[in-house]
Amino acid sequence: MTSVLDLGEIRITDTPRVGPKMARLGQLASAGWPVPDGYAVPVEALDGWLSAATRAELARLFGGKQHDPATLQRLSERAQALILEEELPGWLEDAVRLAHERLRQRTGLGPGLRVAVRSSAVGEDGGSASFAGQFSTYLGISEVADVLHHIRKCWASGYTPHALEYRRQIGKSPLHSHDLAVGVLQLVDVRSAGVVFTLDPVTGDRSRLVVEANWGFGESVVSGHVTPDHWEVDRASGQIITRRVGAKQEWSVFEPAAGRVVLSPLPAGLAGQPCLDDDEVRYLCEKAAEIERHEGVPQDVEWAIARDRSLPGSVFFLQHRPETTWPAAAGEGEPPEAAPAPPAAAAKPFDPVQYALRNVFKVPGA
Amino acid sequence: MAAQDKPRIFPVDDFVREELYPGYKPAFGSQPFVAGPVRPFGKADNARYWLRDSLHFSEGMVPASIATLDDAQTWGAQLGAEIVGVPPTRGSVNRLAGTHVYIGTIDVDTDWQIQSRAARFGAYVGPVLQNFDSYWAMRAGELQSAYDYLDNLDLASMDPGQLWAALKDAYAFHRRAWFIHFEVMYVLTANYLAFYALAEEIGLEGSMVSAFLSGQQTFYSKTDEELWRLAGRARELDVTGPLLHAAPADMKAQIEALPHGRTWWNDFAGFLSAYGQRTEETCRVDTPSWIEDPSPALYSIGTFLSKPTGFDFHAARQQAIAERDEQIEAARRAINGSDLQRFNEALASNLAANFAWWNEEHNYLIDRRAAIPVRRASLELGRRLAADGTIDQPDDLFFLFKPELFAVMEGGDERWPELAAKIPDRRAFFEHWKHRGPELPTMLGTIPDTVPDPIMIEVFGLSGHFLQTLKDGAEGATELRGFPAAKGVVEGTARVITTVADISQVQPGDILVCGGTTTEWTPVFGIIKACVCDTGGSLTHAAIVSREYGIPCVVGTAKATQAIKTGDRVRVDGRAGTVQVFPASP
Repeated sequence: MTSVLDLGEIRITDTPRVGPKMARLGQLASAGWPVPDGYAVPVEALDGWLSAATRAELARLFGGKQHDPATLQRLSERAQALILEEELPGWLEDAVRLAHERLRQRTGLGPGLRVAVRSSAVGEDGGSASFAGQFSTYLGISEVADVLHHIRKCWASGYTPHALEYRRQIGKSPLHSHDLAVGVLQLVDVRSAGVVFTLDPVTGDRSRLVVEANWGFGESVVSGHVTPDHWEVDRASGQIITRRVGAKQEWSVFEPAAGRVVLSPLPAGLAGQPCLDDDEVRYLCEKAAEIERHEGVPQDVEWAIARDRSLPGSVFFLQHRPETTWPAAAGEGEPPEAAPAPPAAAAKPFDPVQYALRNVFKVPGA
Repeated sequence: MAAQDKPRIFPVDDFVREELYPGYKPAFGSQPFVAGPVRPFGKADNARYWLRDSLHFSEGMVPASIATLDDAQTWGAQLGAEIVGVPPTRGSVNRLAGTHVYIGTIDVDTDWQIQSRAARFGAYVGPVLQNFDSYWAMRAGELQSAYDYLDNLDLASMDPGQLWAALKDAYAFHRRAWFIHFEVMYVLTANYLAFYALAEEIGLEGSMVSAFLSGQQTFYSKTDEELWRLAGRARELDVTGPLLHAAPADMKAQIEALPHGRTWWNDFAGFLSAYGQRTEETCRVDTPSWIEDPSPALYSIGTFLSKPTGFDFHAARQQAIAERDEQIEAARRAINGSDLQRFNEALASNLAANFAWWNEEHNYLIDRRAAIPVRRASLELGRRLAADGTIDQPDDLFFLFKPELFAVMEGGDERWPELAAKIPDRRAFFEHWKHRGPELPTMLGTIPDTVPDPIMIEVFGLSGHFLQTLKDGAEGATELRGFPAAKGVVEGTARVITTVADISQVQPGDILVCGGTTTEWTPVFGIIKACVCDTGGSLTHAAIVSREYGIPCVVGTAKATQAIKTGDRVRVDGRAGTVQVFPASP
């Protein structure tokens, strides 16, 4: 049994072991796309690691059926402490150490490598946002000892009261832990990031591709925080037909002190500047059109451009998914062979109707 | 302290009657009802809960207003809830204690009905929320064009047949306006509550959501701005004396006697023609519009003039908007990833279909206006009937029920003497109950632990805490808890006001303690230090206006008007939702 998988080994069929986000990145990488490199600690490692004594103690803690919030909170704290206190077994520590060393070599960064350690949920529905959102991401880690520590923290986060309550609601035992993998990914020093739509997401017009982007990490664009820069490219000629510099007031940047990506004011010098040059826009569109041809349906493609590198080595693809706003437009291409995997944790949109029925009116089964 | 030892039933027995008013038993009107017309309490009503709706109707209903009430909270609410398919409720029903309005809900409690309503709800609400602008524009346009027609009818020169047709049109319009009201309200409330639930789920305070949605321009905020402008103009033209000191009836004459008085009054008259089609209470055909009686507008101008320091309306508004934006950004900084994405989507959905905004805006088009055409046509008919001696005075007509009036007008002439004879007793009945309003219990019947209708919780404030507080009683309470509606901590002297008619007793710097406020109370928010209400949730008027005026506010305390006396020292903490009471020495 391989206890740690390099990204290059991961395929979409590994979704149950590593979670959908890591599996899709692995799939992209195996198809030759540049992605942030990394490795994954699959779900079976958690059970394989916990000692019999700890598993027995967890079984004892969660032996009862249902707990009031205060008890759940207490049990949750105890379970998390158990996991954080237990030493990692030598074989797992060694496997992570080796994988990390391989990653340092593959990226050529050596000890300068910084990574993100994130939990990757393998939920019932392939990464349900309400579950995955409860887990953790730790950014900017470089020492392997820190990586090991944060892998344990990711696992412990599977025992927060919210995660326990979610398991109870979907009828899973709190002991069931085959739902949490950990991904370790190179933290790219991102200059600009954003999305390419392989059709106009507003009109559904497939004769053009649309690029939206901002300085810094892509969160500010994906979350709708800023009015991003906007380009429209004619599919047939590859010509840029519209350029609009957005009123970008903020960007998402890595804040080393906080250890995470935060939204902060954009330096004045950057606000009025387009965050991509024309070559980059055209290159991103070419590549996105290739992904669309491969997938058979219009896509939205998330990408990032690394600082201090030049095309094409500067471009990383983070994920792609079918663009579902205009389903009728899919008819032009070949239908995809298999239903694409659902997007990773981020993409569950807010539907006021569903929310009202489920969370406000509490309609059973809504 | 054990709650189950306390009485859970506040008996309706004192208010059980067969007749609504002397000589009139409730009857089905012409319209179909889901659950029966407005009527007095009956013994069986002890089995369910009833909330006194002093929020909308503080002074009691005359007979003619019973028809407009059942267009609204009975028929309109029930039809709206059916069309939208609100899962837990089939709308509301009304009972009267004397002339005072109580509201109850029709809970849906079978699985099949809840599921089938949920399916309807999704099919109806989804498309509406995606196109709310055009959906509301169409309805607002329908209402406005009806007013353009009805308000401009030359009633005095109509022949009797035309006048009667105009009154029937006015009644038909009134009913239609209330159907629009509830259709839109249920859709928007669901959108708002969905955002509220999301906020709680991702670790934000749900109570902040209405603050995120505040600060949009409404017809009422424009009215306030105009009144503020007129106050400034009064200073320039040196006509402030009468505005501050004259009795309402003498004000116009005293102002016009001043050198620039006519100039100012002409400006004010222009304001009235644009903003004056509003009454002081909902559904009440017996209350005049500002055009008929401008004293509420003149009082508002007076409160702006009496502000101790240079209160700047625009600066206060800008500050409120800046604070709102900062609160939104603070919320965004606290979340990330998919939570942030969903937050932004929910915020966008709620800004596009904004209940906090509509909750103010619609009053001008519906609540405070829809009955004015009925009032105008009724008074014209009343003038003619008084002139030929059928009744004593024009507003006698307000003491006939709509079915009585329709029967007598459509071929029952010989019944006029019998009906006219009932009017004096009915006037006496109305006056008697008018004075008993403040003593009526907040709730009657069986007080539940929780109510299933989230709309009753957010609009009327029927939280579990509120219900428990009612059960426990108010005596000797030194700390009240309620819904934290607007932040800030102040200490000051309480002024307990139970009806909007007494609003002029409020002095600058008072802490207002009341049952609940409506749009008509807005002017005092410019002079008070804080506001405390018995009823209300995150969406009630007092909560919204307090945030815009930047004063602390606690609503839904259940018993503030009983536990606090005018003159008591109180400390209001609008973030914690607490009110400490330090009784004045006896």
